[in-house]
Amino acid sequence: MTLATLLRRAKIALLLALLLPVAQSAYAEWSVPDELRTKVAALSDEQIQFITSGAILEIIPERQLLHELASRDADSLSKLVDDLVSVSEKMAYDPERDMGAAPLNLSSTRFNRGALPTPAALREIERADGPFSVHRYLYPKSGVPTFGGADVAIWPEDLVAGKVDVAIVGVPQNMSSGRRDAGAGPDAMRGLNTIATPDLQSLLKPLDVLSVVDYGNFYPDWLSVERSVKHVTEMVAETAATGAIPMLVGGDTSMLYPGVKGVAHAHGAVAFGLLHFSAHPDVERVGDHTLSDRQALFRLLDENVVNGSAVVQVGLRGPDVDVETLEWLRDKKVRYHTMAEMQKHGVDKVMQRILREVEKGPEAWFVSIDVSVIDPAELVAAGRSVANGLGIDAATRAIRYVCAAKDIVGFEITDLAPMLDYSRLSVSNANALLNACLVGIAVRKAGLAPDYIHPLALDHGQR
Amino acid sequence: MSLNFRNVLVIAAMGLVALGAIASEVPDTPEHVVGDSAYPFNTVDPRVEEKEAIELPDSVVPKLELLTPGEIAFLESGEAGSFEDVVKELEERSPEDIKAWVGAMQYVYEHNRYREGRDSPNVPFNTASPEFNAWKTERPRSMDPPREDGPLPLGRYDGEGGPPTFGGYPLALTKKDLVAGEVDVAIIGAPLNMGSGWRDSGEKATVDLRLLGWPMGGMDQYVQIDASEVLTVVDYGDVAVDNDSTERSMQHVRDIVREIAETGAIPMVVGGDHSLEYPNVAALADVYGKEKVSVIHFDSHYDAWWGGSHLISHGYPVYRLINEGHVRAADYIQVGLRSSGPDKSGFEWMREQGMRYHTMAEIERRGWTAVLDRIVAEASEDGRKLHISFDIDVLDPAFTPATGTPVPGGLTMREAITIVRRLCAESTVVGFDLVELHPALDPTYKTTLNSAHIVKACLTGIAMNKEGITEEHYLSPLSSEHAIDDYYGDQQQYLDATKAEEEKAEAKKKDASN
Repeated sequence: MTLATLLRRAKIALLLALLLPVAQSAYAEWSVPDELRTKVAALSDEQIQFITSGAILEIIPERQLLHELASRDADSLSKLVDDLVSVSEKMAYDPERDMGAAPLNLSSTRFNRGALPTPAALREIERADGPFSVHRYLYPKSGVPTFGGADVAIWPEDLVAGKVDVAIVGVPQNMSSGRRDAGAGPDAMRGLNTIATPDLQSLLKPLDVLSVVDYGNFYPDWLSVERSVKHVTEMVAETAATGAIPMLVGGDTSMLYPGVKGVAHAHGAVAFGLLHFSAHPDVERVGDHTLSDRQALFRLLDENVVNGSAVVQVGLRGPDVDVETLEWLRDKKVRYHTMAEMQKHGVDKVMQRILREVEKGPEAWFVSIDVSVIDPAELVAAGRSVANGLGIDAATRAIRYVCAAKDIVGFEITDLAPMLDYSRLSVSNANALLNACLVGIAVRKAGLAPDYIHPLALDHGQR
Repeated sequence: MSLNFRNVLVIAAMGLVALGAIASEVPDTPEHVVGDSAYPFNTVDPRVEEKEAIELPDSVVPKLELLTPGEIAFLESGEAGSFEDVVKELEERSPEDIKAWVGAMQYVYEHNRYREGRDSPNVPFNTASPEFNAWKTERPRSMDPPREDGPLPLGRYDGEGGPPTFGGYPLALTKKDLVAGEVDVAIIGAPLNMGSGWRDSGEKATVDLRLLGWPMGGMDQYVQIDASEVLTVVDYGDVAVDNDSTERSMQHVRDIVREIAETGAIPMVVGGDHSLEYPNVAALADVYGKEKVSVIHFDSHYDAWWGGSHLISHGYPVYRLINEGHVRAADYIQVGLRSSGPDKSGFEWMREQGMRYHTMAEIERRGWTAVLDRIVAEASEDGRKLHISFDIDVLDPAFTPATGTPVPGGLTMREAITIVRRLCAESTVVGFDLVELHPALDPTYKTTLNSAHIVKACLTGIAMNKEGITEEHYLSPLSSEHAIDDYYGDQQQYLDATKAEEEKAEAKKKDASN
């Protein structure tokens, strides 16, 4: 045995000795099957503890462990266990070895440039406050694309002066943990003018009932989700404080965190429910970053921005849905609805359950949609697309209903990655999702019941 | 791997224990920022000119009555604008307006600069995470059945018929594999996806380069060389990157590229965004020495920008390499520049630094052939060890539409294949990267296939170099001329050259059999 090996053994022994009192309580103990006891007995005490404490099962599954114990000779087994201990050892942060924070350029002369709205005294044009048209014509067919062809507002004073009900605003962050192009989401949705079309059920024209504006974009830092949070949160809060409903168009789902947090600044934390449509739970608890799309809902729940008992999640499936995650959601009192539940009971029945949960919940709601909730057949351009999702019909019906039945304090649609769909069907359906809520808000403002259907739309009346 | 909360505590405890024990294993790389330390090099962009102080004329003094001495000093510092601009603004405005205007200018000036307390000096990671290093934790080889070190063919039919690898080359996973196999070239994917344009240079790029990477193997008709017969080439898998932080990915990429270069193999890094040029070249400098490696940067952009709030992005690698002393600016050659920047200050800086730039404007003026010869001559000067950094946006978007920031008016594939093959044959290449492939932008396979052909051109060149074919612009006398008649008046020359090559090959065969 070389000196290096001796030192290494000593190190591992020390590590395990210190670890064991905690480990014994932390892992489910693993008892070695009788027929493998002789194999295990050849290992050192520390190595045995690593196995029987269950710590080893964090790295390899039990099936594999049984196979390795049965098939390896003593030397090979000892080497494997040592290697796995060493893996555990290197996994955690070490300030002497690891970068704990990415340094920034502190001498930069544009350190906050992206997040710096032009101060009033430097604006080039003087105009009276209020939304304005970007079109030459009274009945424009084309021109500068805006969300729903709506007028443009730039400053909160515009929202106040125009008594704006809904401010649709892009948050073009592009850091999806799946395929990336969500940065192009807002412009793609502006470019396909299918928002704010008449509602078939009520025959309402949403722009006749609501004052809606395209409120431009809130700029994130395209190299750092973390650095985007402060500015986006402040801007959303400022928007919501004018009384307008911020309808945010992502951007990847990391921007759900500042979106909801900004609304909470204006309306109070835990003052509203969160109806979250997504294939992904987004409650990663142990991420090595402080924020990403996978952590957005975790952060909101962990910081009590929203209360778990007022969170309803719809459409879960995909790679991050596992026992630990669902248990965690259940502990947090989140009402989750997986696609398994839909398959078992039928989409309609589950949707009824969801709407009842929302109706029984708080008066005010934030509706968020990660477009991954929709089946790829109808929306393939989702950054984190997963097979077997909701149909656009079921989703829009539920969204329209909730937005008509409740006070909507905020809305966000995220992770549309337009370049993944050359047909633009995905953009069209993303617009339909946003439109469903916009229409719902209009129906409520018009004083109609959420399930009201105009008789003309329901029956031709010919006898 | 998944962990519940209790395990979080345990493993966090483990990390604390491990801390003392492994401090002695920290590699000696001073550029590696640890903990929450600041960037250890100068961060100021030398091309940003200091503002000239201005003297306010008496004529505007009455307008300044509402300003504080601090506000007047700000105007005099020149930070609010040049003499002409400031005087114009002051003349047009009332004293109240001026007060508001100066206040706004100061606000902008102040917010464009880092302020302690208000701004975070860094982007903190979640250091409490028990999985902090999971993204780059290597699998202990003892978890797999033991095997001999060396390149590993994955298929059952003479190595073929397995999962796709770059060019169908065998797989290598460890430094020992490279050493045991005496590997000449290790192709490694780097799925970094943080560019400023469209983003799809993650694993989609590195995987597509395997699915469609067959051009990387096989015969090059122009020179009658099959690189796979001359070189030992491997697919070295993908290097782990953190696609939530370019900065964090850099050190690990550098470690793995260094690992390849230390064995004497040439690292060929393919896939991700152009930030990768920084760790690739820094790793070569680790192995061959500071300021010992030259870089030829094919790109429509010069990537020597600097001075933003971040310290690395795909616009910064050239400046950062020079700033940290890995490469001398004078050892940089730039080819194909044509994007909207840099402006005069950037070109003046390059000229002052001795950086040899070859823009599309030069090619328009002098013609491709002349510029080609000039570039190859510069790159093959005696003693140069060369890294080739090939951003596929140097090519015209007609050939590579699937790139993050395409710019029209670029090189053709015919030009690019020739220059890459010549550089890899005629100079001493120690590293190569091909970056900025974003497959989602191209519903055909054109961009990926063309990218693979660029890699092949270099592999062929390296094989030629190994075979001793380093003469200027070598082409096979057999494939480049039928020599059945004397159309060009040099028929005999081609017949003789062909014969000489045949005799040389015969002699070599004899040597080998003896």
